[in-house]
Amino acid sequence: MEKKSSGSGVRLERRNILKLMATLPAAALAPVTPFASSVAMAMPQEAGAQNDAAVYQPKVFHPHELRTIRILSDMILPADERSCSASEAGVPEFIDGWLHVKQGNLLDEIRGGLTWLDMASNRSFQFDFADCSIQRQKQILDRIAYPEKAAPEDASAVVFFNSLRDLVVSGFFTSRQGIRDLPYVGNQPQQQWTGCPPQVRAKLGLVDS
Amino acid sequence: MPDSMSTSSTYDVIIVGSGAGGGMAAYNLTKAGAKCLMLEAGGWYDAAKDSKWLEWQYNAPHRGGGDYTSPMNYFLAADGGWQVPGEPYLNARGTDWMWFRARMLGGRTNSWGRISLRNGPYDFKPYDRYGNGFNWPIGYEDLAPYYDRTEELIGVFGSKEGLENLPDGKFLPPPAPRCYELLLQQASRKLHIPCIPSRLAVLTRPLNGRPECHYVSQCGRACRMGSNFSSPVVLLLPARETGNLEIRTGAMAREILTGPDGRATGVSYIDKKTRKEVQVHGKVVVLAASSCETARLLLNSRSSRFPDGLANSSGMVGKYLMDTVMSTVSGFLPKLMDLPPHNCDGVGGMHLYMPWWGYQESVRRTLPFSRGYHIEISGSRQGMPMPGVLSGTQKLVGGGYGESLKENCRKLYGSFVTLSGRGEMIPNENSYCEVDNNVVDQWGIPVLKFHFQWGEQELRMARHMQETFQEIIHTAGGEVVQSYGAEQRWGISEGGQGIHEVGGVRMGDNPKDSVLNAHCQAWDCKNLFVADGAPFVGLANKNPTLTILAMAWRTSDYIADQVKKGNV
Repeated sequence: MEKKSSGSGVRLERRNILKLMATLPAAALAPVTPFASSVAMAMPQEAGAQNDAAVYQPKVFHPHELRTIRILSDMILPADERSCSASEAGVPEFIDGWLHVKQGNLLDEIRGGLTWLDMASNRSFQFDFADCSIQRQKQILDRIAYPEKAAPEDASAVVFFNSLRDLVVSGFFTSRQGIRDLPYVGNQPQQQWTGCPPQVRAKLGLVDS
Repeated sequence: MPDSMSTSSTYDVIIVGSGAGGGMAAYNLTKAGAKCLMLEAGGWYDAAKDSKWLEWQYNAPHRGGGDYTSPMNYFLAADGGWQVPGEPYLNARGTDWMWFRARMLGGRTNSWGRISLRNGPYDFKPYDRYGNGFNWPIGYEDLAPYYDRTEELIGVFGSKEGLENLPDGKFLPPPAPRCYELLLQQASRKLHIPCIPSRLAVLTRPLNGRPECHYVSQCGRACRMGSNFSSPVVLLLPARETGNLEIRTGAMAREILTGPDGRATGVSYIDKKTRKEVQVHGKVVVLAASSCETARLLLNSRSSRFPDGLANSSGMVGKYLMDTVMSTVSGFLPKLMDLPPHNCDGVGGMHLYMPWWGYQESVRRTLPFSRGYHIEISGSRQGMPMPGVLSGTQKLVGGGYGESLKENCRKLYGSFVTLSGRGEMIPNENSYCEVDNNVVDQWGIPVLKFHFQWGEQELRMARHMQETFQEIIHTAGGEVVQSYGAEQRWGISEGGQGIHEVGGVRMGDNPKDSVLNAHCQAWDCKNLFVADGAPFVGLANKNPTLTILAMAWRTSDYIADQVKKGNV
């Protein structure tokens, strides 16, 4: 996380909290009392690092498909100053595993969409999508990423991209990195519950009733 | 661990099922000194060891995903779901009944929503009040002392409100509201819809040796600390401590055995490990297998004396099956965008809800339906983000990808709310289950076939939900993201989807049109009782578990009393 400061005060405030969170070991977020140690005994051990992309064996995707999914994942949610890219957060592997167990026709929809992308790309640029320049890849995505502006003949590809976008967003914001990005600050046992914090109440214009 | 098998002895009571009703029966009858045998079709479950409490979704298979009841959901403390392998059920043409089963010690009490609402006086006498449906053979005053005792035992938070037909209980203090709940409360008050602290079986203070909640919003995973109500922690543990309870898991009840005098003598079950029949004998049999399983057991207990199944001389077993009317609207509240990070977890459910407000309108007949519903609310900042988080962004931000999408996701996080109705169904004769002898499960037991229809009344109620929820979202300054119109039948749920299926073995005043008397004792078989949701005569807009618990307590008191008097 870089300390570049730009944008609104709210974003700065968030970043400050993120910075604070980053400097704290996870346990420090829980209250340090006998309570915490009794809870700690009931807490599961966190598993170690995972998603080693180098050795990942896809369950549904062919290598070419997985390569395309990686490119798309990072085009949808690229790295920025706050967090890593979707592929660094294990999103392609998540999507592959999800489609492996998900019932219904989502796998067909995604796989069919990848085929459409290569078709569209070859028609326009004589290359598969994954082999095009980023500029050309964007040109193709721009056709299907904005549902209200898309051409009628691209309607089915728009549906595909809506689903893929949702999968990437789901995969990223349920990853360790995505949780910190939001940030989701829960899953920390509380000794007491105090409700909506005063600074949020103030922002929402809620007066105590 | 499950006790070893012994088939020679005769138990005082055999209880089929270990959920809310069976657990409560065991709790009371073992304390009264009865030697009890409990049969559970599923496996052993110990939340202190087996709960997935505090585990992160990113360490779980598929990020713990799948919807709430999907087999893909790693976290939900429910072995089973809408389908149980090897244990099918059938739907009649035109029926899409959904049947949720949790095959495990404690059943669905491990994962349930903990919403604990008392039925009110009107709910027991709906025919008197509305001129439709049926009266119960008991009234609120019969159950009130048992509601008191149940709440004091299990722990329910709430607030004294004195509202019409919503009796207050013995409450623990309610947790403070979440931010989005306060916004919805503000809107609902403008519309003169009450919005009050919810009533959940979650401890906000230590109670009976169980600690206060830790507010991580994971009740559905079962609580490792025992801070919410589940049958194994709150009922079966003390029942076992009496030394009077033996539990057999993997015991799939097949039929109730009867003697030449027509009395129940025991239960035949299939031991799932050996696939062999085992017969156990008892002086009293209590069925609490879940409403539909209990009906199935009775229908499958056929003999020359009872050709249509046990306790079925009225022909009413399986009839008047009910479920909660549900319809949902979700909305986007721009005010909730881009809020300072804050912990919104709380207990594993809503802290505020909207009870039914239209009783007087119903009397004046200014509503297009009789009966009522309550509104359950949820918000997208509550709980650990799970797969599906922030999905459908294209509806709000017009799609896109890249850095702007990422930034939009951060802003949108936590800005969605959902309002979901829980309405009262009028029991109808088109909704029932029967046994189909042509199809058996893998244990050789004939399966259920369901017939289910909502009436015109329920559809009108769903429409009213849609219109009201949209109004609340608009009043809160929001936009509707998902709603349902006439062509989608106002978003009405499928029968069974509410997981509030009750009825099928109803109680009554008259043996000709009911299976059980006012004490949930079979008219046709004096030593046979039912302690789950099957005896329900109606299904109020109150979630049924608290009433199942209170009724099971009342029924087991009656059993103990009748045994003492030598009447059964």
